[in-house]
Amino acid sequence: MSFGAPYLTLPSFKYVKPKTLREVLEFLAEHGEDAKIMAGGVAVIDFLKERLTEADYIVDIKGIEELGGIKYEENKGLTMGSTITLYSLRESRIIREKYSALHEALKTLDPILIHRATIGGNICEAFPWMDTVPPLLVFDAELNIISLKGKRKVKLKDFIKGTAEIDLNPDEILESIFVPEPPVNSKSKYVKVLAKSEFGVVNIACLVSNPVDPSKRIVKLAYGAASPTPTLVPQVEEIFRREAPLNKLIEEATSVVLETVSPMTDIHASEEYRRYLIDVLTRKILFELLTAD
Amino acid sequence: MAHRYIGKRLPQLDSFHKVTGIATFTHDLELPGMLYAKLVTSIYPHAKVSKVDASEALKVPGVVTIATGRDFPYRLGIYVGDRDVLAMDKVNWVGHPVAAVVAETLEAAEKAVDLVEVEYEPLEPVFDPLKALEPDAPLIHPKLGEYRRAPAFTPVPGTNIANRFVLKRGNVEKGFEESNVVIEKEFKLPFVSHAYLETQSTIAQYKMDGTVEVWTSAQSPFAVRYLMALSLGIPVGNITVNVPFVGGGFGGKAGLAWEPLTALLSKKAGYRPVKLELSRKEQFTSGAVRDGVYAKVKAGAKKDGRLMALKGRLIFDAGGYGDYTVNVSRAAGYSFGEVYDLPNVYCESLAVYTNKVPTTAMRGFGHPEAVWAVERTVEMVSSELGVDPLEIRLKNVVKPGVSVTVTGEKLRKDAGNPSDCLDAVAKAINWGGPVRKPGEPWRYIGKGISVFCKGPAQPPNAASSAIIKLNEDGTVDLMVGTGNFGQGTVTSLTQIVAEELGIPVEKVKFKFIRGTDSMAYTWQTVGSRGLYTDGNAVLEALEDVKKQIKEVASQVLRVKPEDLEIRDEKVYLKGRPWESIPLSELVMGYTYPNGNSIGGPIIGRGKYISPLNTYLDPETGQGIPTIFYTYGATGCIVEVDALTGKVRVLKAVQAFDLGKAINPLMVECQIDGGFIMGMSVALFEEITFDERGWVQNPNFSAYWVAHARDIPDEMMEISIENPQSDGPYGARGIGEVVMLGVPPAIANAVYHAIGVNINNMPMHPENIWKEIKKQKPELLEELKRKLMEIRELKVER
Repeated sequence: MSFGAPYLTLPSFKYVKPKTLREVLEFLAEHGEDAKIMAGGVAVIDFLKERLTEADYIVDIKGIEELGGIKYEENKGLTMGSTITLYSLRESRIIREKYSALHEALKTLDPILIHRATIGGNICEAFPWMDTVPPLLVFDAELNIISLKGKRKVKLKDFIKGTAEIDLNPDEILESIFVPEPPVNSKSKYVKVLAKSEFGVVNIACLVSNPVDPSKRIVKLAYGAASPTPTLVPQVEEIFRREAPLNKLIEEATSVVLETVSPMTDIHASEEYRRYLIDVLTRKILFELLTAD
Repeated sequence: MAHRYIGKRLPQLDSFHKVTGIATFTHDLELPGMLYAKLVTSIYPHAKVSKVDASEALKVPGVVTIATGRDFPYRLGIYVGDRDVLAMDKVNWVGHPVAAVVAETLEAAEKAVDLVEVEYEPLEPVFDPLKALEPDAPLIHPKLGEYRRAPAFTPVPGTNIANRFVLKRGNVEKGFEESNVVIEKEFKLPFVSHAYLETQSTIAQYKMDGTVEVWTSAQSPFAVRYLMALSLGIPVGNITVNVPFVGGGFGGKAGLAWEPLTALLSKKAGYRPVKLELSRKEQFTSGAVRDGVYAKVKAGAKKDGRLMALKGRLIFDAGGYGDYTVNVSRAAGYSFGEVYDLPNVYCESLAVYTNKVPTTAMRGFGHPEAVWAVERTVEMVSSELGVDPLEIRLKNVVKPGVSVTVTGEKLRKDAGNPSDCLDAVAKAINWGGPVRKPGEPWRYIGKGISVFCKGPAQPPNAASSAIIKLNEDGTVDLMVGTGNFGQGTVTSLTQIVAEELGIPVEKVKFKFIRGTDSMAYTWQTVGSRGLYTDGNAVLEALEDVKKQIKEVASQVLRVKPEDLEIRDEKVYLKGRPWESIPLSELVMGYTYPNGNSIGGPIIGRGKYISPLNTYLDPETGQGIPTIFYTYGATGCIVEVDALTGKVRVLKAVQAFDLGKAINPLMVECQIDGGFIMGMSVALFEEITFDERGWVQNPNFSAYWVAHARDIPDEMMEISIENPQSDGPYGARGIGEVVMLGVPPAIANAVYHAIGVNINNMPMHPENIWKEIKKQKPELLEELKRKLMEIRELKVER
């Protein structure tokens, strides 16, 4: 967490810039915990400056072809290389049209930093308020992780284990992020309340499909910035599969959300205010998506 | 006479330097053999320093020396000498510098500071200024009675009161009795940061011959030199202070900062130059910020809105030292309600020490704090009485030539007019007219206004001078000690020289390194005084130059000096423009064809000191505190999202009676910049402390300063030009007054939008929400209901 450092210099480290993914993985296999990955450097340079982390080696993965790029396959989904910048994603037509909650989240970010910040970094920093995470949770994102030992897949909701805690071994690297094709006729939105810092105090991503037909209705809600880790609230989906007046379902969903998310107090906002915001904004976002034409 | 340069929209002269990057800041400077300093700072809010062990730190390769408070037994300060160079025996806040490491590289210095072992004996801290006033509160400055202080200040030894000021005029109790309505309210303002882009940065070299040379990011080179000499016992003439380009000051770089420490470190490190540059965190925790305030205000008024009495108690939270803040609190005291014609007024203003970050001057200097409390109070009186907020203000504001101010000064006829400002602003926001219908049922729109004034809070004897040298080719060196930190005074002064000498502005050379060795003295560049005081000195120097030029030319042309005119780089005979001599043939002496020469290099000198100001009566605060008042009014239209508490300013309008806009382009930029800074303080900014006294948000991620996206959709700047006869071309200062009225205007607009009074800053969403919940819980219930009723909602912006 970034609260400012008294230091003007960085601690000493060796800067390494491999040319291929293979080289990266070999380096990590050899040096493990002594090496730290840098893509945009938005977080790691800050942490080094604040002496919150140490590294003998900083491995710069920018520009490695296998880790960049964005690829969309009709009816299958979207694969984003982990080093693609948030700016490129914000400008992506596919994301704007099909994954609008993600697009809206990207639009809330600092217009300068997003030229360096990457999607992989945003996820791996794993702070409560990282803006790409709630949208990726409602889109059921899956991460492709690679090491010399091989590849594995892990759901985003399982990948983030706590504040700044992720399911990634020192020899592994996040290769890409896959989001499946959103459900047909779905709409999604992102709401962020900025209070008095650059971070949201409550961030909400919501996806709704087939609002009028309970048997096919899909509703997903995920929350960031409100509690130590971003939270997908899976019970919401079951609630909205039931046949009942929308008002009633929304009421029920909102209370389940409040129980699941368990808002926190930190320097940016109190638990009480977050609880209130979740209460009213969950209703608001659900209404907007459930009653849109 | 039509002006050629006065009133012209010239871009600031140093825009080129800043845009191209050739401007050099102290931050950029490196001197041969330079060392780097780094601070070891306290982790306790209040503690005795029992031991500093630097042995491990000294082993770090490259470390040259390490100093502690005992090395430098000096006291610093402009108004009260309550600062130490490094903590001598006691620390007063978390961040208080305890020791300093000097090393060959910054890396070595930063490595070594972590190895300096400091042993503390914690003392009971006090964080709340009201608690610090209690009789059994821990004493933060036990030696307060021994400190050097300027004559206008009255610290109370044996307490935590760094200064007490009382303003008293008429009889407030009688005034309350005569009132139909009396209200009393409390107000709070948090500590805020100046947020200048360039953190404090200083290079100093103490030389073996006893002279000291300093390069520093400061507003006032002469104040740095004098206060350093005074504190360290060095003859003033032994010190040279150079100020390169400065990355913002906003009052936070007035007076004296790190220059004495850096110079003493240089001496201890073997007379090599030493650089000390603060990180942003250090700027928040070891540098000085703006005070927090607790205020209680009571006001009484007749049914028709006539204010009968205003009473205030202002408690300034000065933090660990009050050096400059004693005068901030004093200025708030004597300016309390000064825009109004008040028959009865009383204000007690205290500066109180607490174990928090120390405080200093900031743009507005006590006025924003007082104006917040007064303008919110007047708004609440207006709503209590049902008198229109514009009407109540127009009814009560001072009238030039008629009114007597709160300090008992009969206002001059050409003092400027707050009513004109109010009228202009009211018209521009269509006061009383309808507001646009917001897009969603939980959004509310309201209009708000405020009125206020400010003059320079300077000692009565603050002086200015100017030297103008003419060069061989007729170009002109303007040498005046005015600081140049973005406010643009140097550009205005240059315009004045070009105007008066009738030469192109490009021929007036203003040096961007401001230095005590090459510039004429001016007390400080603070308090919106630069254009007025230094401008008058420049005008006098120009008269001197013109007189000298005409004297020589009159001999050459064999006419009387008064028949001559200077224009287009020539001296003319009035009415016979073909009889002229180019300036370049006169400025170093005129040479006749046979070689005989007369005259000689022309150097003009001028000065300014206020003949009118007085000290204020120690019992009543009565007297003449300032050389002018710049009156202003702010109007704005805001939208409140009552669901989240978010406030957004849609339209901002400000009007100022500045006498004369020497440069309307810069005036408009000042007005807009002032609005945005005022809005940022009003809506977002707040330094917060945890229960141990640690600053929680010492960076710009967690401490939000307005960004481009927060700027109002529409901004309007109005200059009103009722000239003041003794100001340069009638001008008054504008640098600070532009942010004074913004917070109350926004809060007043919030009140008119949702009927909730906000008396504590900042008005960030959570605070607005809390106040709605407290004052109008039914509104939140209603909105929640609306949320559940509405089927078709518009997509949010």
